[in-house]
Amino acid sequence: MRLRVPRFQTLRGRLAVLYTGMFAAALTVLAVTAQVMIWTHARSSVTAELAASASVYDGLWALRAKTLTGTADVLAHDFGFRTAVGSGDRATIESALATLRARAGVESAMLVEPDGHVIGADHVLAPVVTRLPDRMRGTRRDAVVVSRDRLYRVVVSPVMAPMQIGSVVLALPLDGAEMRGLERLSAIPLTATMLYRDGRGIWQAADGSVPPGSEVDALVDGARTDRRLAMLTLPDGRAFAIAKPLAGPDGRADAALLIRYPLQAAMAPYLPLQLGLALAGLIGFALMVIGSLRLALTITRPLHALDAAARALEEGARTEVAVDGDDEIGRLAQSFNRMSRGIVERERRIAHLAFHDTLTGLPNRASFRHALQQALARTARTSEQVAVLCLDLDGFKGVNDTLGHPVGDALLCSIGELLSRLAPDALVSRLGGDEFAIILAGRLDPDRPRGLAQAILDAAAVPVAAAGHRIATGVSIGIALSPVDAADPDQLLKNADLALYRAKKDGRGVFRFFEEALDIAARKRRQLELDLREALVTGQFRLNFQPIYSLKADRVGGFEALLRWNHPTRGEVSPVEFIPVAEDTGLILGIGEWVMHEACREAAGWPDHVRIAINVSPLQFRSNGFLAVILQALARSGLPPARLEIEITESVFLDGKDHVLAMLHQLRAMGVRVALDDFGTGYSSLSYLRSFPFDKIKIDRSFVTDIAADAGSAAIVCAIVDLAVALHMETTAEGVEDDEQLTRLRDQGCDSVQGYLLSRPVEAEAIAHLLPARLVRAA
Amino acid sequence: MRVAFLSAIGLSILSPCLPASASAATVTIAVRQPDGSPLIDGVVMIESAAAPRALPHGPYVMEQKQIAFQPHVLVVPVGAQVMFPNRDTVRHHVYSFSKAKRFDLKLYGREDQRSVTFDTAGVVALGCNIHDGMTGFIVVSATPLYARTDAQGRVSIPDVPAGPVTLRLWSPSIRAPGNTLAQSATVPAAGYGTTLTIRR
Repeated sequence: MRLRVPRFQTLRGRLAVLYTGMFAAALTVLAVTAQVMIWTHARSSVTAELAASASVYDGLWALRAKTLTGTADVLAHDFGFRTAVGSGDRATIESALATLRARAGVESAMLVEPDGHVIGADHVLAPVVTRLPDRMRGTRRDAVVVSRDRLYRVVVSPVMAPMQIGSVVLALPLDGAEMRGLERLSAIPLTATMLYRDGRGIWQAADGSVPPGSEVDALVDGARTDRRLAMLTLPDGRAFAIAKPLAGPDGRADAALLIRYPLQAAMAPYLPLQLGLALAGLIGFALMVIGSLRLALTITRPLHALDAAARALEEGARTEVAVDGDDEIGRLAQSFNRMSRGIVERERRIAHLAFHDTLTGLPNRASFRHALQQALARTARTSEQVAVLCLDLDGFKGVNDTLGHPVGDALLCSIGELLSRLAPDALVSRLGGDEFAIILAGRLDPDRPRGLAQAILDAAAVPVAAAGHRIATGVSIGIALSPVDAADPDQLLKNADLALYRAKKDGRGVFRFFEEALDIAARKRRQLELDLREALVTGQFRLNFQPIYSLKADRVGGFEALLRWNHPTRGEVSPVEFIPVAEDTGLILGIGEWVMHEACREAAGWPDHVRIAINVSPLQFRSNGFLAVILQALARSGLPPARLEIEITESVFLDGKDHVLAMLHQLRAMGVRVALDDFGTGYSSLSYLRSFPFDKIKIDRSFVTDIAADAGSAAIVCAIVDLAVALHMETTAEGVEDDEQLTRLRDQGCDSVQGYLLSRPVEAEAIAHLLPARLVRAA
Repeated sequence: MRVAFLSAIGLSILSPCLPASASAATVTIAVRQPDGSPLIDGVVMIESAAAPRALPHGPYVMEQKQIAFQPHVLVVPVGAQVMFPNRDTVRHHVYSFSKAKRFDLKLYGREDQRSVTFDTAGVVALGCNIHDGMTGFIVVSATPLYARTDAQGRVSIPDVPAGPVTLRLWSPSIRAPGNTLAQSATVPAAGYGTTLTIRR
């Protein structure tokens, strides 16, 4: 069976009960030991006392026997008495016996004649005494006899003349008076009782004070061999007892002397000791209970404090417990305090990381949004304004690419510091990349956003020191105001972004305020982007082809592939509208790849002298997979590379010249022709022409349109053609619409023309009809 | 000395011979104690109707010598006068409470002459009131046919008339009334011999 250990709700209770229980157990052991020792001591004391008393009784018994025998002998040896016995003079005998009784002070003195006749006995003694001389064996003279439940002590003295002629017998009743006499001889209040063996062999007390039983029988029977102490259960309580068997006439003990001493009396001297021990135990126990409760309290009070502190910590409060003492609890409290401080510190750090940018230490986007939300919430209650300025570094990617990221990072840090310095009254945060945002809130001077934006632009115009470099970088800023432009933070930020977009569009290094139209344009643009993705997937694009007429060969030498988008609902959408979107979103890559494949596939079916010219956007040109796309398109269509002409604008050089040149050389190595489109507009850096030997230069239509009317345009066209000839490049004039233009171009030596004069861009099916077309030389 | 529980003894006649005539014969008896040793100072008396009265011949002497009766046992016929000479330097006070003869010879010395006549058959136990240890016996026999066993426990009694007799054996060590055992027997003329053993 398993012992159920009680459960405690508190450590204090458990400790108190444990200590108290152990102490109680110790006390119990002590009490039991003390009780056993007291018992043992009492028993040994009583044993010694009883043994002493018993030996005193033995001595007295023997002395009494000697006295009585002597008395009997005096009479038995008296010559006159012997004469009387020898002559059978009974009267004389009886008178002599009477004299003996009076003289010796004994109750009964008798003469037993050899034939068993007893003289001088009463009716109680006579039946026993008559055979007494015969029953006495050896030299025994002394015996205890029982007659009719009464006990007598008898001594026998033979009357010799010189042969035995009778026996003098003295009898002494062993009655209560005799017992009291014995008891008075002892130092302790003993009780003496005579026992005799009844007819059934059971020991009975002569005065009935000891009830018969196996206890008594065992004690008396055992005493014959070994006089030992026993415990008797009597009507008046338990008692130590010792027995002394008394020999009868034939040596067998039919009587015994029982000496007993009540247990209560034996233990009485120890009662004060026991009471003292019990009292001391109770006081000790009470002290132990109080002490263990106090001890438990000293242990559990700091634990309670720690428990409460831990709960508080769990709920996020910063808590410490008072430390007193250098024990385990004290050290635990110190550790707890350190842990608590550590947790708070880490929480602070985590919170900082969550809301701050690790690079610049400025608040991050989440923090910015939170602050903006709070500022807008305040605005809703008051009539205050909130301005959001979104900033973007112009050409930051170039810094990263050319000077490396560490420098870029240092630049960002410098800009962050610059902004913080310029806008001490605002929240400056870094939204990511090279994007920063500033919140201006509170009672704003209406001109403050504009002032701040201008201050930033002015400061950024000066080259910024970063990681040992002085970097000239521009900043574009978009500004949106609440509640005028938007009331919710996301919308406000988006509007500021749109303004920034506009600022960038407007040439960078400027700031723009948000306008409603920006938002509408942005929505349209977004929709267009979605539609473009759809178009690419569902195949809404198709190609038109515009012939390029070779003036020298006097035939159609090629076609320029032109992208057309038939929108399901809007109908034809102008490339002018959707190409910039496709370029901004990167969709131009997918579209360009489709164009490349489709155009090559179409061109493969044309006569061998007819080339296909395909426009490639700068984004497409810079993409990693561009060469692979061309190879794939050529391989799939079976078009010879020499019949493919890639048209690029000089804007591809804006993001670094070396890479572009490498790419151009690779195309050349493949056998693909490269044409420089829209020459004469934009930067028109002549160094590009020197850097790479283009196969062809396409003269922008703006020069061709005015070539007949404007001498300047004609001069430029002339110069371009001359330049191309000098550089061994072909020239193609775009936008040729009438014969006069054609004539001028032909006169100036232009290699080929393209324009409505010959044909508008046509569907692929119409190409076959155009191939035989001829431009007739004007007269 | 044990007083009780002595069994009666039997006298066994070992070699009985029928008498050829009514003449006298000699009876020889050996007496043994229960352990087989000879009984000394036992007295054997033969009663026979044919025997004559016992007559004292004297002199019979029971000396007191070295604080003892000498002899320890004296057998005398009825009517015999026994002298009690004191051979010691101390005085003696000889008495007897026996039924056969009660007497009391108060203190006497070497110079005094004391005698007692025993005219009744029986055993007289002698004691000295001064010296408890002195005991002696005088067996007064009615028949002249008596003898005291010698050191070998033997008696030889001559002139016993052939015919039926009663054998009596007395010794203080015999536990029987009067310390005496009796046995009938027939004595043949050729003589009679037997061994008597006291049985416990």
